[in-house]
Amino acid sequence: MNTDNKQTKDTASFIPETTPQLDLGSAWLRDKRQESRSVFNGSPLPPRGIHLWRYTDPSIFLSKHLTQDNTSITKSLDGPRSDLAAQLESNNISGLVTDHADQEITVQGIDAIIDQGVIVCSLAEAVEKHSEIAERHLYQLINSDTGKFEAMNCALWNQGIFVYVPDGVTVEKPLYLYREAPPGEQTQFPRLLVVVGENAELTLIDEYSGGGSENNCYANAVIEIFGKQYSRTRYVSLQQYHTGVSSYLTHRAQINQSATMLTIPLAFGGDTSKCNYGVTLNGQGAESDIFGLVFGTGRQHLDNHTLHHHVASETLSNIDLKVVLRDKATSAYTGLIRIENDAKTCEAYQVNRNLLLSSGTKADTIPELEILNEDVQCSHGATIGPIDPMSVFYLKSRGIEESAATRMIVAGFVGSTLKMLPVDLRENIRTIVANRLENL
Amino acid sequence: MTGFTQIALVTDIPEGTMRSYQVERNRIVVCNLGGKFFALADECTHDAAPISDGKLEGGNLVCARHGAMFDVVSGAVTGPPAVIGIDKYEVKVEGNNILVRVD
Amino acid sequence: MSGKAKNKNNDIASLGEDYATKYGFHDPVDYFHKGAKGLNHEVVEMISRMKNEPRWMSDIRHEALDIFVSKPMPKWGSTDMLAEIDFDNIYYFMKPIDSKKDSWDDVPDYIKNTFDKLGIPEAEQKFLGGVSAQYESEVVYHSMKENLKKQGIIFLDMDSALREHPEIVREYFGSVIPAMDNKFSALNTAVWSGGSFIYVPPGIDVSAPLQAYFRINAENMGQFERTLIIADKGSRIHYIEGCTAPVYSSNSLHTAVVEVIAKEDASIRYTTIQNWARNIFNLVTKRASVYKNGTVEWVDGNMGSRLTMKYPCIQLLGEGARGEILSVAFAGTGQHQDAGAKVIHAAPNTSSRITSKSISKDNGRASYRGLVKVYKNAHGTKTSVECDALLIGDNARSDTYPTMEIDNDQVKVEHEARVSKVAEDQLFYLTSRGLSEDDARLLIVNGFMEPFTKELPLEYAVELNRLLELEMEGGVG
Repeated sequence: MNTDNKQTKDTASFIPETTPQLDLGSAWLRDKRQESRSVFNGSPLPPRGIHLWRYTDPSIFLSKHLTQDNTSITKSLDGPRSDLAAQLESNNISGLVTDHADQEITVQGIDAIIDQGVIVCSLAEAVEKHSEIAERHLYQLINSDTGKFEAMNCALWNQGIFVYVPDGVTVEKPLYLYREAPPGEQTQFPRLLVVVGENAELTLIDEYSGGGSENNCYANAVIEIFGKQYSRTRYVSLQQYHTGVSSYLTHRAQINQSATMLTIPLAFGGDTSKCNYGVTLNGQGAESDIFGLVFGTGRQHLDNHTLHHHVASETLSNIDLKVVLRDKATSAYTGLIRIENDAKTCEAYQVNRNLLLSSGTKADTIPELEILNEDVQCSHGATIGPIDPMSVFYLKSRGIEESAATRMIVAGFVGSTLKMLPVDLRENIRTIVANRLENL
Repeated sequence: MTGFTQIALVTDIPEGTMRSYQVERNRIVVCNLGGKFFALADECTHDAAPISDGKLEGGNLVCARHGAMFDVVSGAVTGPPAVIGIDKYEVKVEGNNILVRVD
Repeated sequence: MSGKAKNKNNDIASLGEDYATKYGFHDPVDYFHKGAKGLNHEVVEMISRMKNEPRWMSDIRHEALDIFVSKPMPKWGSTDMLAEIDFDNIYYFMKPIDSKKDSWDDVPDYIKNTFDKLGIPEAEQKFLGGVSAQYESEVVYHSMKENLKKQGIIFLDMDSALREHPEIVREYFGSVIPAMDNKFSALNTAVWSGGSFIYVPPGIDVSAPLQAYFRINAENMGQFERTLIIADKGSRIHYIEGCTAPVYSSNSLHTAVVEVIAKEDASIRYTTIQNWARNIFNLVTKRASVYKNGTVEWVDGNMGSRLTMKYPCIQLLGEGARGEILSVAFAGTGQHQDAGAKVIHAAPNTSSRITSKSISKDNGRASYRGLVKVYKNAHGTKTSVECDALLIGDNARSDTYPTMEIDNDQVKVEHEARVSKVAEDQLFYLTSRGLSEDDARLLIVNGFMEPFTKELPLEYAVELNRLLELEMEGGVG
């Protein structure tokens, strides 16, 4: 039964004073939450006229359900996913943090890295027990000024996750974060704060899964990452929510002098997903790479934004975003590279390739550049189109039937991105991609 | 989803007026032209503005943003700056119910 | 390479050293009817009556004025600069003499001097078919060569076209750019005056380019020319416009509207070089509709002005239609060239190419704002966009805002942009061969612009090189 209503769900753009999350945490934190709440309540929806919101209706990211109702959750898993449990067993990962949309997060297998001085706990606990470092970093990159939906998370995030790697420490194996959205009408506000110390090293795999196939779960996630000078960070954002989830994600990282960061956004899931990744190159010699893969099927709408902001000289950035669409999926990609006036001798590159596997798909892309001084090397490019028929013809003439040929070509297309992933994750993603190509 | 979906009531749309509705992912504008009902995509092909924000005038839908015009019956473009027509939906009226076929 | 540089210098020298005089003088303000400043329905009515227009055109003007008033200013681009425009402080109509002159000899001296300095008599001798010259808001002089008339080609100023061919004008006026399109197309529709009207009958190939000149003169004068070009089936035409203006202390407004229609198998090339004075706001809407197997090419050179906002657009509406936009912009200190290109693919098997080159120097800002839109029915689309930006100086700024909206999977869409400064190694190479650093830089800039300048008739190419040289020296404005 359809009602005279322009929005797909009941929406509210007001956070009541009685919302439970507002009372969580120290006095400092409660103040921040209240501040964010009033900003959220007082600000209008972003205008459709700006490029960032041209292709996605912002009203999708409002929600009437501002708390997590734990009584009605039937957990989809009692423990970690079996493959993750196996990875923990065989020591392939240095720890597993599970956030079941529950009150408590669980942390497993981190004994080895604890000895190195690494801290992995809930963000709530960090604010309480490691207040100095938490207060110095939390809300510094994403706060109520960032935007309306970020303000929503800033007020209502629940437990959150905190990861701290001390100066000089190398965490050998990837740390795995598993966030599960509950099925049913729920809203989740995951939050992550990562601080990688000077000359430290960390690989983080951040997976967002779960939700149901009914169109009523909403997840609004915020990620803040600090890479101190000479640090090396690799951050994989794996978004594979079930088809009923609306997902909003904002990520901001800041890297200092000679630090490097590799960010790998993988967007596969959700009904409508809007992800916004940004890295500020904040110290001389810093380098940032963003290698992203977006794969839409069915009627998904996947909207992604990347930002590389050069504020320091001699910095280098590179974006490679690949989009594959089939059925009637649609993609929007907006990106900005901005080099400030006093950021001299910088280099910035960006490539966006869109592969359309069926009619009914639609790709919109606006890669933008704002360059405020002459001492730069900057280029970007975008392509949109189907698989080159000549490539398919070539493989068919060698006895490979069409759907297998398509799979091979798409595998080749995404191959260079997968190479950037930690070995153990590579196979997993390869399987996900292969599954999405079925019955083409 | 095949088949017809109930979208509006006849009594909600007086003659010479139009109203906007959402059916799954589709925004649809239903117009009453001389007692007959027509359903078209409520999105101007020029710059994606909601046509229902504009006017229904002389058998044409006129978009409020830049003045693009579309024929209510066929959806064909009748005035710049649009250059392509809007999709139309099959309409059935049963009693006081207006139904559209949305695929 | 140095040999080529020497030859270029000779050409520039022969243009005349009094560049400042040529482009930096004022005529006495001695007009026939000088309208009041500001804009209202009375002024619009006065304009229409002065021109003896049919009622339907007056109605269009009045309706457009209401649209202009109701539309807000753009919220993007250089909003600070736009806020400087004082709409109430502009003359929206000026009539320099009381009737049009057919022969060059009868044109009043002070107007003739203006055109003398702009080189019209020589131009007419050379390869032009006819000259339609606009002074202030009205065409003062036009002449048509016999062969054009014989072929049935109509080449008139817009006012005369409305008088002599009202049916054609009525059919096409506003058919590509309606008044509601944007605030400045509404303004133009309300107060338009002058501009060119060209109709080429089916099958006719207009061998020599048609050309127009116009110029702003008095303080606070607005230029609102309206151009309409229709190339009927299978015809070909090349139209060139170049304009120049002296420098003023208060701001001046130029909002032109250019509508171009290439019917089946027709081909139109529209070349513009502009060099407006540095206080001019140049806000132009130009758009072409191209039908089956037709071609339109915009060759657009933007220099001068305080703020230019111009995004030549091509709508490919018939199968096999083709569009090409070649755009060049030079932004010097205090200038914002907010240029770009738009291509709309609304039919199968259409192709387009956009090439944009920009130079930002010192505090200049050059932006590229583009749109490639492929509709659901436009399978077989092939389109490519290439943007190159050169930055000269610590505070130069370059922006690229390309939008691609692709709604069909059987297409080939490519976009590429590059931003950099003058290459150190190229500079070193040239200076090590005896060129001063300034000359070397100028040579590199000329090379950068070469894909554009080679598309221009020689005289324009020479003029453009001269303008470039002055811009690089900082000798203009």
